[in-house]
Amino acid sequence: MGDVILENIVKQYEDVTAVENINLNIKDGEFICLVGPSGCGKSTTLETIAGLTKPTSGEITVADREVTYLPPKDRQIAMVFQNIALFPHMNVHDNISFGLRLRNFDSKEVKKRVENAAEILQIKEILDRMPDELSGGQQQRVAIGRAIVRDPEVFLMDEPLANLDAKLRVHMRTELQRLHKELGTTIIYVTHDQAEAMTMADRIAVLNKGELQQIAPPLKCYNEPANQFVASFIGSPSMNFIEGKIRSGGFESTHINVDINIGNYDDLSIGDPITLGVRPEDVYPKSNSPEIQSQSDPIDAQVDVLEPMGDEIFVYLRLNVGAEDGPTVTETSSADQLLMSVDPDSDVSTKDNIELVIDREKLHLFESGNGNAITHGIGEQTALNQNR
Amino acid sequence: MKKYNNIADKLVKSSIANPERIYNYLLYISAAFFSVLIIFPFYFLFVVSITPQHGLAEVRYLPTGFQWENYIDTLEIVPLHQYILNSIIIATITTVFVLIVASLAGYVFGRFKFKGRGVLLVAFLIITYFPGTTYIIPLFRLFTGNISLFGLATPDLYGTPWPVVLPLAGITLPLATFILTVFYSRIPDGLEDAARIEGCTRIGALFRVIVPLSAPAVATVGILTFILVYNEFFFSFLLTDSSYNNWAPLVHGIQMYEVTTVRGSPYHLMAAGSILGLIPVTVLVFLGQKKIVSGLTAGALKE
Repeated sequence: MGDVILENIVKQYEDVTAVENINLNIKDGEFICLVGPSGCGKSTTLETIAGLTKPTSGEITVADREVTYLPPKDRQIAMVFQNIALFPHMNVHDNISFGLRLRNFDSKEVKKRVENAAEILQIKEILDRMPDELSGGQQQRVAIGRAIVRDPEVFLMDEPLANLDAKLRVHMRTELQRLHKELGTTIIYVTHDQAEAMTMADRIAVLNKGELQQIAPPLKCYNEPANQFVASFIGSPSMNFIEGKIRSGGFESTHINVDINIGNYDDLSIGDPITLGVRPEDVYPKSNSPEIQSQSDPIDAQVDVLEPMGDEIFVYLRLNVGAEDGPTVTETSSADQLLMSVDPDSDVSTKDNIELVIDREKLHLFESGNGNAITHGIGEQTALNQNR
Repeated sequence: MKKYNNIADKLVKSSIANPERIYNYLLYISAAFFSVLIIFPFYFLFVVSITPQHGLAEVRYLPTGFQWENYIDTLEIVPLHQYILNSIIIATITTVFVLIVASLAGYVFGRFKFKGRGVLLVAFLIITYFPGTTYIIPLFRLFTGNISLFGLATPDLYGTPWPVVLPLAGITLPLATFILTVFYSRIPDGLEDAARIEGCTRIGALFRVIVPLSAPAVATVGILTFILVYNEFFFSFLLTDSSYNNWAPLVHGIQMYEVTTVRGSPYHLMAAGSILGLIPVTVLVFLGQKKIVSGLTAGALKE
């Protein structure tokens, strides 16, 4: 079965640590996305699973077999590369059947498998062509075909769609999902595009600086990020972060105060530096927020820039409206800004002064130092706090 | 005088207006010059090869007679085909050896980063700076069994192909390695990774993917090595006797006309022999040219 287990994988180069003690337990048939910014170690992790690089320490198990020091060919894996890597001196048929021919499959079996793969990927007509005669999408299909004919236990994909244009990328995304359903093979997929990860994966593993930040289903990563990095990386546009401190009544910062019953949280004590996180879609203009049960106290803001996206509007807000002479561009720092997304029919325009509320159920609190999440959602404002 | 001035003026004006024309003229002139420089010796060799012996002294630019029988005499007097065969065998062994070893070395130099790589490569190249004459005496002692290693005398290789194959392989290896290093380093890593994932070992990936994709370089190195060994004289002159039974190569065969002829120097036979000896190399170069298909890597990887 196509389980993949990584235990304490460390990969050190001379001066840098690319992968720092990663543990993953991937079940047979799962679609896992490794995401993170460039240089986070996701590709290195994939290469250690592939056997293209050897880990400095740790153990890798693929399909119930320890493979840490086996060469790639003996690992029952197939890989699709970002740069496609078709052999330019072979036609499509020979590219797809390369691995089978190396393993001395008889010609009937090779023919059967290549035709089957070509059927699945709809590339039957181009089997005689050379790679440089194909379009980008066709090349990527051929590369996937080369991976599936060998019927491996695990597919490794290293940003396979990164070089395709935007439209084709979305199309191939659905094709990959269809393929995954059809074959039921474990897929480990590396991408820096959180949207790709969100749409395709059963579970997302978020990496940063060589360390695993969180591994969870996409919506859990979105709604309950384990730390500030995951919160900022997953979701577009990114979450708002407001730095402040814990006071007796709750969270306090320059512009935003939120009442929190700090007695409910063991991790909170007065004076702690805390970062409050809120996604743009959880910020509302007070005027059209009656349906929200757990509103925060209103916050004054001024509309700075509008970005109409069609299905929603991103509203960049300035919070330092209380300043004597009004805000100027030079005075505006990131701490004074907030991003809100609203329905496209909302009537907001630049320079409007509006009152905002935040959905308390969707608030996230992070420790300011290490960014670890303290809680997600702080419930309705209690009477005690309101009377303060 | 005025008229000349006009022509000169016109020429200057038109060449300033159309500098391409001057470039073209210069190109044709230099191309013609080098063509003559290269082709004339062959032409002269051919003229000599069909001249009867008594007409040799008068040969200038045109044949003084047509004696095609020279070509038959050439083969009758000295079994030149045997010498040609010796040369082909020696050159083939050397070329195959050089290509394999230089491919492995080029793979390591071109695709791995390790300390001292540059120094090692240059040190390797320095070998080629020394002329063969500087080390022929120790080589002679080595190949004739006069040096003992660990109490064992080296084998006596005099009159076998090896005293030619080994030093020439040593001389051609550094440059071959250098050329292949440059080419192999240009093959994208992704292709090698893909080959290894698909089921190749590193060496399998080298010979199934990297070498085929460097076909122009491999063919070039192969042809250069082959020609160099095929024309070899120095080492074989000292380390074989001149008998074809003892692996004397082509150039010895040609020299044999001098020895076997009683009267005068048989330049016409030597010329005919030279032209016969050219045939295998010419065939090889034409075959090799067909194999050299460059631009194969186009479209291999998306950058």
